[in-house]
This record gives sequence, C-alpha cells and structure tokens, in this order.
Amino acid sequence: MAHADEAALFNKDESKVDWHDKALWFVRQKRDKSAHKVKGWETLRDLASAIKANVMSNLDNYLVQFEENAQKNGVTVHWAADAEEHNKIVHSILQQTNVKKVVKSKSMLTEECHLNPYLEANGIEVVDTDLGERIVQLAKEVPSHIVLPAIHKTKEEVDVLFQKHLGTKPSNGDPQYLTNEARKHLRDKFLKADAAITGVNFAVADTGGIVVCTNEGNADMGAHLAKVHIACMGMEKLIPQEKHLGIFLRLLARSATGQPITTYSSHFNKPAPGTEMHIVIVDNGRTEQLNREDFRASLHCIRCGACMNTCPIYRRSGGHSYKATIPGPIGSILSPGKDLTKHSDLPFASTLCGSCSDVCPVKINIHEQLYKWRQVIVKDVPQPVVKKTVLKIAGRVLANSKMYGFAGKSARFILKHAPRFVTYSKFNAWGEARDLPEVKDDNFDTWYKKRQKHE
Amino acid sequence: MSRASILNAVKKNKPDLLPLPEIDLDVFSENIDLVKTFIGNVEFVGGRAIQLGSVENIDSEIKNLYPNATKIVSCTRDSNLGTISISKNTNPHGLETIDLAIVKGELAVAENGAVWISENDLTIRVLPFITNDLILIVNKEDIHLHMHSAYKAISKRDRTFGLFLSGPSKTADIEQCLVIGAQGAISLTVLIV
Repeated sequence: MAHADEAALFNKDESKVDWHDKALWFVRQKRDKSAHKVKGWETLRDLASAIKANVMSNLDNYLVQFEENAQKNGVTVHWAADAEEHNKIVHSILQQTNVKKVVKSKSMLTEECHLNPYLEANGIEVVDTDLGERIVQLAKEVPSHIVLPAIHKTKEEVDVLFQKHLGTKPSNGDPQYLTNEARKHLRDKFLKADAAITGVNFAVADTGGIVVCTNEGNADMGAHLAKVHIACMGMEKLIPQEKHLGIFLRLLARSATGQPITTYSSHFNKPAPGTEMHIVIVDNGRTEQLNREDFRASLHCIRCGACMNTCPIYRRSGGHSYKATIPGPIGSILSPGKDLTKHSDLPFASTLCGSCSDVCPVKINIHEQLYKWRQVIVKDVPQPVVKKTVLKIAGRVLANSKMYGFAGKSARFILKHAPRFVTYSKFNAWGEARDLPEVKDDNFDTWYKKRQKHE
Repeated sequence: MSRASILNAVKKNKPDLLPLPEIDLDVFSENIDLVKTFIGNVEFVGGRAIQLGSVENIDSEIKNLYPNATKIVSCTRDSNLGTISISKNTNPHGLETIDLAIVKGELAVAENGAVWISENDLTIRVLPFITNDLILIVNKEDIHLHMHSAYKAISKRDRTFGLFLSGPSKTADIEQCLVIGAQGAISLTVLIV
C-alpha cells in the first residue's frame, strides 16, 4: 500500500490523529524553547554539520582509527556488510558465550536489520527494554517514531496490552502505574539476562569509545549487569574527537525532546573486568549512499527525530504509514537509497515546506533532497498513467501562455457555474474536507492590465 | 569478515577531504551565575539540588531527605551513612535491593544540570542505575558553564566508563505523560558543597 493509502487509514480515527498531531507539535515547541536558550545555537549546528561532512570525507581513516583504539581498550570490533551479516555476527557472539536471554536498548540499526526475529528464530529471548519499544514489541508492532516508539498508542491500549502480557490490573491507562509495573517486569529481565545489546549514539575515533544516550537508564541496566555487551552501530555514527561530543550532546536532546541533555550519556571505553564488549560496525547500504553526491549528507543524521515532530505530513499520517524503519522526512531520503522501487512514494509524502531542514541539528538539506529524489524517481520508477498524463498535459499548458490563459478562463467558468456535485467529485482531493476559495472573474494578469489602464 | 570490502568501498565513494572546523569557544561564553543556573537545570530535569554550607552538613541533610533508607552504599568519604560496603569484586546483581547510593561527582555542568561520574567514583558501574534513590555530591568550584568546558576537564582521565547524569530516570512513552522513575534511579538529589 502506498503512503497516501496508509495515511488515509491512520486518518480514520480523527481524534487520535488530532492528538498525534498536537502531541508532536508540542515536542517541536519544547525543542524551540530549549534551543533558544542556548547562546550560539546556530554556531553549534554549523559546527556539527561541518564535522559530519569532514567525517564522511575521511570515513575510512576514522573507522580504522576507531577500530585500533577500541581494540587497545580490549573491545572486539566486527564488520558487517549488510543486515544478514550483522545478524549472523551478533548470533555467533551469543552462541560462543552461551547466551539464551538478551536485553536490548533502543537501536534503530537492529530494527533496520530485523535482528529480533532472527535471534528469536534461533531460540534466543530478546527483550526490548526501552518502555516505548517494549510496548510495541508486546503489541507485535514496530516503532512508529525513532525517539517516541509508541507515540501512536493510547494509554488505554497500553493498559490492555499490559493486562494481557504483564498481568497488570485495569487502570484506565494510568501512566504512573503502568510505568511502575513495567519497571518491575524489566528489572527481572535485566537481572536474568546473559547479554545486553545496545545501539550507539556516537563512536569516537580518537578514543575508540562509544556513547549511548537514554532517559530511562535501560541501556546501562542491561550493559552493566550482563557479562556480554554488544553495541551495534551504523558506520556513520563516527565523530573524530571526544571534544566534539560537547557539540553533539548539546544538540541531540534539545532537538529531540527539548531536554538540555538526556538523563544518561554513558561513555563506554573499556569492558568491566570479567565482562566482554563487542562493537559491530554495519554498512548495509551506507557506502552506496556515500557515493551519491546529492544524498550523502543524509548520513549526517544523529537520529533526534526533530524532522518528524515538525513535519505536517508525519504528524497527520503517523510513522507506520511510511513502511520504513526510519519514518518521516529523514527516512524519506534514506529509504529510497535502500530500495528505490519499494520506497518510491516517500519523497512525495512531503509539502516541501522545509521545516525539517530548519530544525535539523546537523543542517541536512532534507527538503531539497526530497525534491531531488523525486527527479530520480520519475525517471527510474514507472509512474501511474493518470499522474503521468495529467502532468504531461499540465506541462504543455504551463509552457504555452495562450493555452494557459484559456485553461484558466475555462476553469474559472466551470468552477463558478458547474453544480457542486461536479466540482466536489472524487477527482477533487482538495475539496474532500474543505471548500475551494471563492472564484474570481479575472486572473492576476487580466486584473493587473485592467488596473494599469485605470491609472 | 567484510572489513576490507567496506573500507575499500568507502575509499572509493567518499568525497574529497573536507576540513575539520575550528571551534571558537568565545561564541558560547556567558557571564552567568553557575551555581544558580545549575540548580535551576537540575530542577528542570526532575531532580533536586541543594546548596549546603559545608561538608559537615551532608549526613544530616541526607538523613532528613531519606529517613527510611536502610540499605545505603556510600562511595565517598564525605558521607558516613553507608551501611553496605562494596568493592570492585562485588557482584553487581547483589545491588538490586539498595535503597540509596551516595556518590561524589567529579564535575557538573550548569547548562544542563548534568554531573560527570566515572567508574572510579562508583566502584561498581551499575550502582547509580540500580539504586532506588541517588545522591550526587559536587563541589561548587567544579561547576562548568557548558559541555565544551566539561570535556576539556575530563580529557586527561583514565577512560574506562563514565557518564553525564542529569536528573532521575524518566520516560514519557505512555501518551507523552512524564513519569519519573523508569528503569534507573527514581529520584536524584545533588548536594552542592
């Protein structure tokens, strides 16, 4: 199903869509307030953008430097070309260490690689420990937002879900009670886990360390209790030096939720005595994206989700409508690079208003890339006949001033005199939920000429 | 292992080298009351910060704040309230029933209410997460304006494990309602001496 059809489904529950829209816009406003408090915010964004551009232009050397330093610290580094190899590597580490129970903190990369189903098929229990991720895991869904995974769920839905899976009492969706029950449930999982899998927010080339950010403390509860810690990272997570964390950590949480920093920003350099630490560096299409001049800046993304919170399309269509691991504006420029045909509708799921680019902490030109993907897609992917024909005719009309004038005149005449059921037929998508503006007699051109005459 | 093929592909596909930008920290400098700003930000992130007259007042303040805590781990000489002693060999799972942990932070950051603590200050890494309540003690001279200054101060450390900790564990994953006390400590008090 195309994005627009999925969005139409999401829009069936009007009050839920309104809530979703407002909740995300509220997060966007918190981001604004938080950003405006920082002296030199725009400088931070410029620096972050330039640092990431430098990383991309020197990525191979930084990767080698990072690997060397991590190895010196006693960390084992693995390389995976694609999702399949990533999953196999993680599984083989778990096999070698005889692990049966795994706790996992939020990692969009492992979602991208579909690690959970792979491990489960191999008889390993994987428990997502971020509350939002645990909710969607119990519901057998995928996250609909990269920072707020269960933003599409009402508290009543969570209540029912927890009653079924955690044996909670009906509470009309009391968030305090439900969170507390989840805390007890997850404590038990943390204490029994043999291994912890985490994502990586930043990997530092000059120290070989990684930084993992959470608000709940779930990544640390997992990593410090289990004897094996596996951190999975996309290769673009690298930054050159530790001091650059100062820039990125100032930007990340403020852009994501409006917090000045996440509750926990944990710096892992060496494994604790008696434990193992592994880092899996994953390509999975990233080197290809690096080769695309117009789109390589999409790899600068630090996964804050600000572009989703501000996007008028995302807010009203929900994350699941994108049918991609990373939804929203940034996902719509990353996904076509992975599978152009499957995701060819996503760059069109945008008004090109540019709000995503305005809030992006690393200044990715998201809306320009959306526009550029459209150019690629109409050339490479067969378009629907109706759309193609309409655009061809429109192209001809717009290129010819006489035809354009005639078409405008006819349209104004028809809109004025045709009965309502004709004007608001199913071909008029705009008119589905609102009236067209009042139709004037003249277009701008004739109005202007008349005005000139009178002066 | 796909190491070689990945590195070769990167080498082939990357753009020409772009320079690392110079960072001019003057842009971020501000003449503000660091203690006041820090306290305000700790409160903003759901914690509590209290400025004490002297180190001697620490224990009476903690007793006052947490009268019911019995299983207490103190990792600092500044407090004598510890009832359970831990060492590097303590099994982290055994800390599950701890009521209160008292830890000396190395430095704090005014702009975001964060305190830097490292493995040396914690003895056991999981301590500040697994404890029910957490107290961090920081010297007021160790409060930095921003993260750039904080990173400069910790640049010479022995890198094992460390973290910036700002506020108690929290989540808003159920309908965006903020709930304090997710998987980590359910309350945080910072004592400034």
